[in-house]
Amino acid sequence: MALGDLLRRTTLLDRVLVLVLFAAALLSLFLLRPGARGELVIVEQGGRIVYRAPLELERTLRLSGPQGETVLNIAGGHACIISASCPHKVCMGMGEIARHGELLACVPNHLLVRIEGGEKRDGDYDLLSR
Amino acid sequence: MTSSVAEAEELDRMRRRIFLGLFAALAVALHTLEALLPSPAPWFRLGFANILTLTALFLYGGRAAWSLTLTRIGVGSLVLGSLFSPGFFLSLAGGTLATALMVGARALFGQRIGPVGVSALGACGHAAGQLLVAWLLLVRHPGLLNLFPVFFLFALGTGIANGIAASLLLDLLRSHRAFCGSTEGPGAPLSFPEKNKRTPT
Repeated sequence: MALGDLLRRTTLLDRVLVLVLFAAALLSLFLLRPGARGELVIVEQGGRIVYRAPLELERTLRLSGPQGETVLNIAGGHACIISASCPHKVCMGMGEIARHGELLACVPNHLLVRIEGGEKRDGDYDLLSR
Repeated sequence: MTSSVAEAEELDRMRRRIFLGLFAALAVALHTLEALLPSPAPWFRLGFANILTLTALFLYGGRAAWSLTLTRIGVGSLVLGSLFSPGFFLSLAGGTLATALMVGARALFGQRIGPVGVSALGACGHAAGQLLVAWLLLVRHPGLLNLFPVFFLFALGTGIANGIAASLLLDLLRSHRAFCGSTEGPGAPLSFPEKNKRTPT
């Protein structure tokens, strides 16, 4: 449909209303954007917590396990494993984590890194209805 | 034979009733058809049935729009088998708030507001009402609020599209003889020529 025809169909108030609603939608998008970042890094080894600190604290952890050393880097609000001594390097392939509930795991070294605090991340449905 | 005023009013009332029934049937059909379409989330509906509510609002006034919405939700949920399920209450809340806003806007602004504006307002009301009830009844979780902007924008888009569709439909209907006297509000008796008293439509 041509734009001119579209404009002919709307009154001034229609256009104002649509613009106001659009602005409200954008504003709510801005105000309510997902603040789902986590706050705490927790490192467990063999079921015991060996490290617990805010995500903002930048540091590099050298964690030794049965397979050797795993290096966890916490920087720029992300945690990621930058070097590992295990054969498959799955933990390095898991990338960076920053949101609540995300995990890094290194099974050979019995290592589990998780993020806690903050809001739950999107996409976790509590319920579906129709 | 001369046509009296009372007969014309009777004819008008009857015609309204019949067309409202047709609109309700169409709205239920659209409501049901829409449920068959795949959607990313259960609450993302295109709201085609609202086209008929808008048409009824602009042709026959607020009361007609209310009865159309409530009939559509009631009968539609019977057809889909979702009566009194959570989805039904979401639908009811959205429909109620949307219709309240649309009728209110029409009463407040009259001729200064067209189908597109009313539809956009109604769609956003629908989204807000649904989320409000979802919050109250189902999930009291702050994550639900994150969904709101996306939902709202989507509703605005479909609202505008439905408004344009309703505007086209209104043009089409108003150019037809059976609707030429129909405007908002009661009264406006139709004055047909004698030979058209029994319009074959």
